[in-house]
Amino acid sequence: MSDRIFAAVWLLLCIAGLFIGWRIHSEYNYEPLGPRPFPLILLSLMALCAVMLLLRKPDRVSWPSASVLYRLLLLMIMMLLYGWMFEKLGFPLSTTLLTFGIGMLFGARWWAAALSGVVMGGALYYAFDRLLDVTLPLGSWLS
Amino acid sequence: METWTFLMQGFAVAMTPGNLLIALTGCFIGTIVGVLPGLGPINGVAILMPLAFALHLPAESALILLATVYIGCEYGGRISSILLNVPGDAGAIMTALDGYPMAQKGQAGVALSISAVSSFIGSTIAILGIILFAPLLANWSLAFGPAEFFALMVFAIACLGSMMSHNPLKSVLAALIGLAMATVGVDANTGVYRFTFDSVHLSDGIQFVVVVIGLFSVSEILLMLESTSSGQKVVRASGRMMFNLKEATQCVGATLRSSLLGFFVGVLPGAGATIASAIAYMSEKKISGGDTFGKGDIRGVAAPEAANNASACGSFIPMLTLGIPGSGTTAVMVGALTLYNITPGPAMFTEQPDIVWGLIAALLIGNVMLLIMNIPMINLFARMLTIPLWFLVPTIAAISAVGVYAVHSTTFDLLLMVGLGIFGYILRKMDFPMSPLILGFVLGEMLEQNLRRALSISNGNLPILWESPISKVLLILAVAILLLPPLWQRWRLKRAPLTTE
Repeated sequence: MSDRIFAAVWLLLCIAGLFIGWRIHSEYNYEPLGPRPFPLILLSLMALCAVMLLLRKPDRVSWPSASVLYRLLLLMIMMLLYGWMFEKLGFPLSTTLLTFGIGMLFGARWWAAALSGVVMGGALYYAFDRLLDVTLPLGSWLS
Repeated sequence: METWTFLMQGFAVAMTPGNLLIALTGCFIGTIVGVLPGLGPINGVAILMPLAFALHLPAESALILLATVYIGCEYGGRISSILLNVPGDAGAIMTALDGYPMAQKGQAGVALSISAVSSFIGSTIAILGIILFAPLLANWSLAFGPAEFFALMVFAIACLGSMMSHNPLKSVLAALIGLAMATVGVDANTGVYRFTFDSVHLSDGIQFVVVVIGLFSVSEILLMLESTSSGQKVVRASGRMMFNLKEATQCVGATLRSSLLGFFVGVLPGAGATIASAIAYMSEKKISGGDTFGKGDIRGVAAPEAANNASACGSFIPMLTLGIPGSGTTAVMVGALTLYNITPGPAMFTEQPDIVWGLIAALLIGNVMLLIMNIPMINLFARMLTIPLWFLVPTIAAISAVGVYAVHSTTFDLLLMVGLGIFGYILRKMDFPMSPLILGFVLGEMLEQNLRRALSISNGNLPILWESPISKVLLILAVAILLLPPLWQRWRLKRAPLTTE
């Protein structure tokens, strides 16, 4: 079932892609092929694969149970928030929060998660920003 | 003789204190990544690749770091196979079959030391193979034109597609997804924007680092949440740590045979350490004749370890000589080279000898380091298995984010990383292999450029693509490799009911 849903969604995306790709147009034409055919060939081949996937016997896909899915969703949201707040909160604070959140999700005691969060945020910031010269944001709220 | 001069030049590069330190770090990190179940060479190389770039390492040092991590992983994978019965990486699956029974018999130390030595022999033979064959192959492929390269890339993708999974259709689709993702961004020849949706962040294309980290780090984290710990106890390596002379002589034949086999399997695009170690184990089992394999036979530990290390080193050959990676891990390394504006390919041997030969010399040095590290420090590495996931996972997440942020310093890249990670998780759950996808993404631009260049030469006449004998052979092989296995399976299925009747 998941195979067919995926194939159907992918087919629609390919068709949308073909419409967008068809409008690629270049003003100069000093080479026979130009920028348009290659993506269109790829999209058609993908569409063909999707159709074949749709028609054949689907594989069994074992998705995790509802409670694991719920935790997965939480993890995804945490990672997205982390990415979104990375610059605003700064690396040390956002990493502390992320480590605490993931720690709780993976079954750590709250104090262990909090401690490792503070250590991770501080230590990684110091290691990368100060020792290794990789510039990381300190957060707009601090400056 | 020329090779010798170049090799010495390579040692001059690899022996600088900085590069020696980098090789040592790479070996150490590689072994740890290999030990941790779930994290394999491709994850380790993917996570470290942007960091190497962010640290402004010169190209040869970055490549040395990634290569030593790669071979370190192949060493590390055996430790958890033997002590925990959970392979640390895919190449070490076979090692668990005899390694864990040996550990249960109290011979963990023996299994670990013999596998370290056979790993060393396997890699050394394969590196000697690189030194002998790579320059010849590079010389030969210098004559390749765009049409030949186009055929070669199609062949490499077909190989990886058909061998990486039981599911050729999904592998091909994965490779196409990778190729299609590579077309996003400004077209180099005409300056036309393709599939950018008027976003500034996409005008430069989807960043390679973001794709690699998303697919191999973020999606791995999501998979880790799912895998429940099996609760198996780590066997402590105690008692006799070294193998004795009798055990060593028992393994010589198996190790040498498996090393050669592993090397040749590694050179082929598509077939990697996993396949090499499986073939080596099976054939040694046949040669032994007895039924001791699977019950703690020492040869069953030595053979797959020699093969998987040899094939890891062998897989550098197509990458260095043709610029076409034959495995997911070397695909990431090729992507790393392009970050440095180095186009991997046959010209590298003449134009960038420092990088090529420095890498080969570093492989030899790293191998010695790994052998020295992997016998006395085994208990230190085994202790890594006790790191709890609630500490390990946030570390991976934060380091991945640092790597991605360091490239362009935008929030957009971080969000795209998470998005690709979720996409990768769904694909992996549905049994889409990731190696063809990343290979497609790495080769996408080169494939299109070579296709367009070939057609420019011929003024738009398609036959140029298959006119030369080399491209003809490669294209026919590519089609055959994709079509034959499913047909063969169908034929066997049809035959099966007949024979049972």
